[in-house]
Amino acid sequence: MSETGLIPLGGPLQAFGEWLSGTWLNYVATHYVWVWPAMETIHFLALGLLVGTIGVLDLRLIGVARQLPLAPFQQLVPWGVAAFIVNILTGAVFFAGAPFQYIYNFAFQMKVLLILIAGVNILVFYAGGISRRIFMVAAGEPVPLAGRITGLVSLTVWIGVMYWGRMLTFYRPPWVVPPH
Amino acid sequence: MMELLAGLEQTGFGTWVREAPTLWAYPTVLFLHTVGLGFLVGINVAIDLRLLGVARGLPLAPMARLFPLMWAGFWINALSGAALVVADATTKLTNPVFYVKMLFVGLGVANMALLKRRLFRDRTLLDVLPPTRQAQLVAISSLAIWICATTAGRLMGYLGPKSGLE
Repeated sequence: MSETGLIPLGGPLQAFGEWLSGTWLNYVATHYVWVWPAMETIHFLALGLLVGTIGVLDLRLIGVARQLPLAPFQQLVPWGVAAFIVNILTGAVFFAGAPFQYIYNFAFQMKVLLILIAGVNILVFYAGGISRRIFMVAAGEPVPLAGRITGLVSLTVWIGVMYWGRMLTFYRPPWVVPPH
Repeated sequence: MMELLAGLEQTGFGTWVREAPTLWAYPTVLFLHTVGLGFLVGINVAIDLRLLGVARGLPLAPMARLFPLMWAGFWINALSGAALVVADATTKLTNPVFYVKMLFVGLGVANMALLKRRLFRDRTLLDVLPPTRQAQLVAISSLAIWICATTAGRLMGYLGPKSGLE
């Protein structure tokens, strides 16, 4: 694999990274020692909330705790969405703080790819009509196959997101100076 | 004391976790520690939110089935955490933040046991709405404890002695 992962040097992404390096967000992320650890802590707490909401729904879909009815899970979904938004925002601080640690990083590229797959899975779940059927599943009832597949895909993809997130620093391009 | 910690760090296992030039060593142990956190803290948070009145339509009693997964998360983290400590003993075990984290993990586990033994034992107490004061208290302390434990874990990399391991 090349030292820049799947993306060659040059082009609009490199220009974007160079522009980001001059923004106020880059300044904030790199000039205050507490910003990076604080954002990391929030990133991990929201990770927990995401697993606790979407992850638990996924577990029920694949057959754990079958005595839970599915309709009330709809009230947990906004908490999962909030956790995801928090992680996009805290993630944006890291990205702005060290754009080239991420753009040319195979692990980050895989992480983004998996998040996009999660997005497609959610789209299929809601727009494909699966959600309407599965949120009618009562306590003890089996989940239709499409719902079970969506749950399994979601759980696998989010664990993959955690995997590649953790691999980030080990795939850092050799010329990038660690930001903290 | 430092010799003991250095000896621990220099064991074959400690050296392998820290230095093996493969993603299956240190990086994978870190990943397992993150997945364990997700399951342990995440499922705790789900039960806490429900105890505080979020998604009230979910009956609490069947959530008892989630406890084995929480305990799995706990054991994954106890083992992966032990490996991370052995690999970096002279740094981790001399860091006060590490002991703060252990204190909160201990409190979190005690709180989980309390939740299971007291609240989940009596199903007539469990599913009353609005939630009882005892249930709310256990839920709030659980949330606070796991927020502190996670925060302390993150800060270990920034406060106290450093070894260069990420």
